[in-house]
Amino acid sequence: MIFVIEYNRSKGNKVTILDFDDSKRREAEDARLEIELDVTRKKVDHEVVLLEAASKDALHRTHLRYFADLPGILKSARDQKERPGRREEKGSRIDSR
Amino acid sequence: MLECYRRSFGDAYQEVVRIIRERDQSLTGRPAKSTASIAEKLLRESTRLSQVQDIAGCRIVVTDVMEQERVVASLRADFPSPSVIDRREKPSHGYRAVHIVAEISGKPVEIQVRTSLQHMWANLSEKCSDVLDPTIKYGGGPVEWRNFLGKISKSVEAYEEFEKKHSEAVTAHEVFEKSHSKAVTAHEVFEKSHSKAVTAHEVLENAAAELLEHRLPEHKVQEIVEEMEASRLRIKDLAEKMEASRLRTENLSEKLVAQWNVNAELLDKAITWLDERKGEKQ
Repeated sequence: MIFVIEYNRSKGNKVTILDFDDSKRREAEDARLEIELDVTRKKVDHEVVLLEAASKDALHRTHLRYFADLPGILKSARDQKERPGRREEKGSRIDSR
Repeated sequence: MLECYRRSFGDAYQEVVRIIRERDQSLTGRPAKSTASIAEKLLRESTRLSQVQDIAGCRIVVTDVMEQERVVASLRADFPSPSVIDRREKPSHGYRAVHIVAEISGKPVEIQVRTSLQHMWANLSEKCSDVLDPTIKYGGGPVEWRNFLGKISKSVEAYEEFEKKHSEAVTAHEVFEKSHSKAVTAHEVFEKSHSKAVTAHEVLENAAAELLEHRLPEHKVQEIVEEMEASRLRIKDLAEKMEASRLRTENLSEKLVAQWNVNAELLDKAITWLDERKGEKQ
């Protein structure tokens, strides 16, 4: 899937997300350009980016910055599943096996 | 004009993505860098547009450093003479990752390979740059955040060291396990041979009165007994080595977990700190 994201940098949140089928690359590129020209005209500090990923989940995994705030990023790192050992009930610390 | 230049990387980007996906490697592609990012880079690095290596790129996030090594090795083999920038050896203001720049028909395409932890750090740093101070990403900004990001980056580095050692110990242990299993099988074969030899020996002994010349020679039996003893000693030695290897793996595993808990505590502190700031604002 192709995603076009407009992201407000100073506020740290996404303004728009559009998704396109893989076959609609040209349309996605045109949409990105249109939004980019618009934010340039308005002189706002928004980042406009086109990304391709297998799914929205995959996109979240590799580009979390566009979707989560600072505590959200910290919490997501904190709750990573790949960590070693087993989790305690509350998940605050882990013990060795 | 910039748009035309960016789109000229399209074919090279598609080729890189195709090759990586052929290996069933999950990735997120970014066919062209945003205008804002290009402009910032040109200003920051006083460079020319033609020298920017990451106009087109993609990102791969893997579980740990061992997988990162495997993916990097595979990418090195997939593309002719790629440039490899190992930011684990020389972190950029705490940023750790491996960047590979593949060149297709004269167009560079940057492939970022990050572990989950390196990626978490990069997300933190970028987000801090977005909402707190744009210079944080490049080593500037409030000192408490610089220290915080620096501490986490060091902690990630330490964790990676334990990950590597732990993985090596697990591999060594697996080798011992295989050797031990082979030795046990060999011992079982010896045991069967010995048992047959003893039976034959008894049969022949019984028949010795009549056919002394067919008796199984004593030296043959002795030879088998000696082989069995050697086999037993080998198993004992392997068992001892296995136990030592198991203890080493267990010890490294404990260290790995302890290091994870250092990371977790750092993150807990940061979350608490942010919650407090939020409370103060309200």
